[in-house]
Amino acid sequence: MSEPETIRAPEAIRPEVETMLALVRERYGSRLSADELAGVRTAIEGIVQAAHALRAVRLSNADEPGQPFAAYRADP
Amino acid sequence: MAEEVVFVPVRRLGELIRERRLSPVTLAETFLDRLERLGPRYNAVVTVTRARALEQARRAEAEIAAGGYRGPLHGIPYGAKDLLATSGGIPTTWGAAPFKDRVFDFDATAIVKLEAAGAVLCAKLAMVELAGGMGYRQPNAAFTGPGVNPWSRDAWSGGSSSGSGSAVAAGLVPFAIGSETWGSILSPAGNCGVAGLRPTYGRVSRHGAMALCWTLDKLGPLALTADDCGLVLEAIAGRDPADPTTVDRPFRHEPTGPAGRRFRFGVLRGATDGCEEAVRENFERSLGVLREIGTVEEVTLPDLPYDDITRTILFAEAASAFEDLIESGAIRGLTAPEDRYTAYARDAILAKDYLKALRLRRVMAREADRVLAPLHALVAPGRPSEAVLLAGEVRSAIRGSARDVMGAVGNGAGLPAVAVPNGLGARGLPTSLQFMGRAWEEPTVLAAACAYQSRTDWHERHPSDLT
Repeated sequence: MSEPETIRAPEAIRPEVETMLALVRERYGSRLSADELAGVRTAIEGIVQAAHALRAVRLSNADEPGQPFAAYRADP
Repeated sequence: MAEEVVFVPVRRLGELIRERRLSPVTLAETFLDRLERLGPRYNAVVTVTRARALEQARRAEAEIAAGGYRGPLHGIPYGAKDLLATSGGIPTTWGAAPFKDRVFDFDATAIVKLEAAGAVLCAKLAMVELAGGMGYRQPNAAFTGPGVNPWSRDAWSGGSSSGSGSAVAAGLVPFAIGSETWGSILSPAGNCGVAGLRPTYGRVSRHGAMALCWTLDKLGPLALTADDCGLVLEAIAGRDPADPTTVDRPFRHEPTGPAGRRFRFGVLRGATDGCEEAVRENFERSLGVLREIGTVEEVTLPDLPYDDITRTILFAEAASAFEDLIESGAIRGLTAPEDRYTAYARDAILAKDYLKALRLRRVMAREADRVLAPLHALVAPGRPSEAVLLAGEVRSAIRGSARDVMGAVGNGAGLPAVAVPNGLGARGLPTSLQFMGRAWEEPTVLAAACAYQSRTDWHERHPSDLT
């Protein structure tokens, strides 16, 4: 198990990567060094590339997630 | 007698105990001594549970003497990955420095079930911190140090159940419990040359186990043989009200099955792409053995982003499971430098994309079942390479230049798989063969693995330099 491997973000996903990186920088930037931010960027590139691969597969309205949720009622 | 019991399979140890030719107390003392003496060499152990072990062993001995034999695990020592909660003041560290002194006041269900079977808890075993959920890239990712491989002390044993793999391989325990979210049982089993069983999701209760990913985590055994893994699974399987994902499906381990049983095996097209040459050669030789007990055919899965599906689920759930640790900045206390910041990137996973991965997972599960339905098992190399060097990049060992479709599908769809040793690589380290089956087909994949092991002797070879 490891973060997705990417060398550099293709141009197509660069705007999305920069937007997400800005979010992370806004939330956690004060605790991250420049090197660490570069590592975060690499990880975000992998995440965004994976998201694009998922979005490329078309599903129908009836394709739902596996359902762990069940209505709850304490006994009795 | 002391060292003669080392590397004796659980089934045989159980017979000797049942016949009262072997004392559970003596057996426990032998393995406790080895854990204390050799465990540090491999960074395999977090805590040796000597007091609890001797109490359990004495109880087992008294019960058996009184005619109360419980079954094949009665009086058998074992170790548990240190993400299973244990009571009695025994720490449960999750392999992570921020939790190294944390103690629970209850036992995980798997621990409870093993105690009920009469097994003897001798150690909490080392693991990659947080089961590798923060994105580690090199072996030194645990407060106990990198897991050292008993076959070669410059190689890794992990991960993430690194101590479970090395402890069995070094003869420190007859069996161990590990966990797998994606690869964490099959990888250490393969790297260390032992058998490892990843059960169907929902077969074994996760109650009391550290949650990395609620919909991917599985607990399972590592042992000297696939047969032993089946014996252990019998003890820990079953419905548990404390884990609503568990189901009430009976599991009965029958290692031999009908005489002359023939198997139908499938190999995914491209199964050895990116594998080291020795891994490919050993796999081809294994297929030759499998053709003695059945047929082998090439099969294909439709083109779906399998790795992306499972990885997205894993990253999203891990980010949520460890939200407090990440948001508070306490991940700064982790050992691997990359574990201290990589998880921040997971804020980039959108809810819609996580849900898309969950929807695609159902498609993946249907397709996997369609391919597996006419087969007894899919077979593949357990790992694309020998164990990585301690100074190496884990990523290259886990991924190499090959995609892990078997791991992504098997874990994403919650399918059972067993890995067994099938040879040695160019550096003299073990390689492995995995059998993956339909959901709830542990009896089938175990029977196939047992049939393979009855025709090979790789499981009877052990590291040297273990005294």
